[in-house]
Amino acid sequence: MSQQTIEQLKPQVKTAIVDLLYRLADDHLILGHRNSEWTGLGPILEADIAFSSMAQDKMGHALAFYRLLQQLGEPDPDTNAFLRSGDQYRCCSLVCLERGDWAQSVVRHFLFDEATRIRFEALEQSRYEPLAQVARKLRGELKYHTMHGQMNLDKLGDATEESHQRMQDALDRLFPHAMGVFEPTEWDETLAAEGIQPREAELCKTWRSQVADMCAESGLTMPDDVGPIYGGRAGKHPEDLKKLLDDMQKVYRLDPDSEW
Amino acid sequence: MTDTQWPVFEVFHQQARGEPHVHVGSIHAPDAQMALVLAKEQYARRMACVNLWVVSAEAILATDYEDADIFDHGTDKSYRESTGYQTTKRAKAIGDTAEI
Amino acid sequence: MVYPMQEMPLNDKQGDPGYEENLAAFEARVARGDKVEPGDWMPNDYRQQLIRLIHVHANSEICGALPEGGWIPHAPGFKRKLALVSKVQDEVGHAQLLYRAAETLGKPREEMVEELISGKSKYSNVFHYHAETWADVAVIAWLIDAAAIVNQKMMAEGSYGPYSRALKRICYEEAFHLTHGYDMCISLATGSKLQRDMLQDAINRWWKPIMMFHGPSDKESKHTEVLMRWRIKLKSNDAQRQEFLKKYVPKMFNLGLTIPEEWEFRYDEATKEWRYNEPDWDEFLNVVRGNGPASALRLRTRKLAHEEGAWVREALAAAAAGEHVPVPVEMN
Repeated sequence: MSQQTIEQLKPQVKTAIVDLLYRLADDHLILGHRNSEWTGLGPILEADIAFSSMAQDKMGHALAFYRLLQQLGEPDPDTNAFLRSGDQYRCCSLVCLERGDWAQSVVRHFLFDEATRIRFEALEQSRYEPLAQVARKLRGELKYHTMHGQMNLDKLGDATEESHQRMQDALDRLFPHAMGVFEPTEWDETLAAEGIQPREAELCKTWRSQVADMCAESGLTMPDDVGPIYGGRAGKHPEDLKKLLDDMQKVYRLDPDSEW
Repeated sequence: MTDTQWPVFEVFHQQARGEPHVHVGSIHAPDAQMALVLAKEQYARRMACVNLWVVSAEAILATDYEDADIFDHGTDKSYRESTGYQTTKRAKAIGDTAEI
Repeated sequence: MVYPMQEMPLNDKQGDPGYEENLAAFEARVARGDKVEPGDWMPNDYRQQLIRLIHVHANSEICGALPEGGWIPHAPGFKRKLALVSKVQDEVGHAQLLYRAAETLGKPREEMVEELISGKSKYSNVFHYHAETWADVAVIAWLIDAAAIVNQKMMAEGSYGPYSRALKRICYEEAFHLTHGYDMCISLATGSKLQRDMLQDAINRWWKPIMMFHGPSDKESKHTEVLMRWRIKLKSNDAQRQEFLKKYVPKMFNLGLTIPEEWEFRYDEATKEWRYNEPDWDEFLNVVRGNGPASALRLRTRKLAHEEGAWVREALAAAAAGEHVPVPVEMN
């Protein structure tokens, strides 16, 4: 099968791609926003700097996805990010949750980036070429994110009693939300059939087994008996997102028609 | 001291293949592995980079600036330089006009 | 003849044998424009003055990350959001470089951080104020960074090698901050009435701290003379202030901005200098001693961040030492 360009897309496929891109863009923007809340407040200067870079990367990745949306006739990135209401967002609950302590942020970063790595590896082969190109372009930055995530999980997982406890608590709390990254949508079949992205359940399965191994190696126990928290992909979000969007859009909305 | 002071690692940055690694500064890190991951963002977040080294500062021995005179040349060392020779002129005199 | 990098001799007390001779050699080196390096003999006063100065400078970077950092969640639009996170990240990076430079003089970073959060050591006057609106972020990034660049470019030519090296990198990054700040101010100054008013209001509130930024007038500054002889500092506070004003006041006027009337700003054609009503230096001293509008908040925030990070620093150090806590192993 050949690669698909924008002009060749069937309407239903286009709708499915738009939905996927919103999920990707919104996840990255909201997580980038959350992680940027650490800038200047990290546990030590060196760690602060590295975490801030990754927050910037996440926002940059969001921007790349919003630009793909714009190419498909959706609003420009700023309008999309700064003028949509919460129920129009398609991010998962994992990225919406408040920053929490460093353990929560590190565990979220680890869980999300492992999910992203597995997804992007698949997207690099996507038959929707613009998306495949973005996935290939972001590979290097994402590789650093997963390197950083795995290393911190590995070291903090069992270094001291306190670090172990905090990391395990974060993992227990976040795991159901992390499974929600792979919330199935009505577009799963279309995307899979068209070779754009594998089914969410399939990605989730790979992620789950790899993450379980990494957790075990880090002295952490991945919760076994919990179900996923879904809703984000349908626009149903925890309260945390409303507060985040109020904060994020506050200045922009003072004068949406002006350049800031 | 009420806190843990992490050790210091010196950071060396290589801008492109074929270029030398250049010392760009130092960071505090718990170990060499973390030092590399952290140095990447403190020292290579703008500059082009293909390779990064970290070295425990404790592993470095340095000469004392007070002893910088050991690097002075007390006697004529021009014999180590190509400019220390009149050979072009001499070669020409024996009929060799090509570049030496 | 060799020393591990971490163990530099500290043979610099007044009254030590050879002190006068060493001092003469040191001053001759500085006068020649040679840099001083960590292992060198240096007068204790030089070491202490530099530690004080670099420590305050590093504190200012890390505290300077706070007023702007508070606006990161509110930055309007992708471009501003990315630039602001990057700018605040740079401030943290500058703190790292500067604390490191100060450490080469013998003072550990943790000790400096403790002294900052206990209120024992100071930081720049400008970060003792609140950033109240988005325009404050623009004014800080443009004018305060501009004022800081005047100072840092000068200090980069100073005599102490590690400080000078750190400042060269810092000045390079500050150039981006300045551009980013000016760009924001241009947007606001040429934007809607709401934006223009917001910007002028920010200038009105920030002009006093900006005028105080370079420190007390030369008549009042007690350190200047010895700092200049040792090339720790190369220009007086007033000279730095004039350099800043000369370049940026016309740019402000060009954007249609005004300086609050009580300063009675006027240009003296004869001396090519700006004249103004002298700032209240007692107020300045009171602010930097920790009695500014945002002083308590700044230290509280830094203290909290430091305390909340303690377990991470400890755990990563423990992991590096090969420590592990026993954890259940029956997984999967």
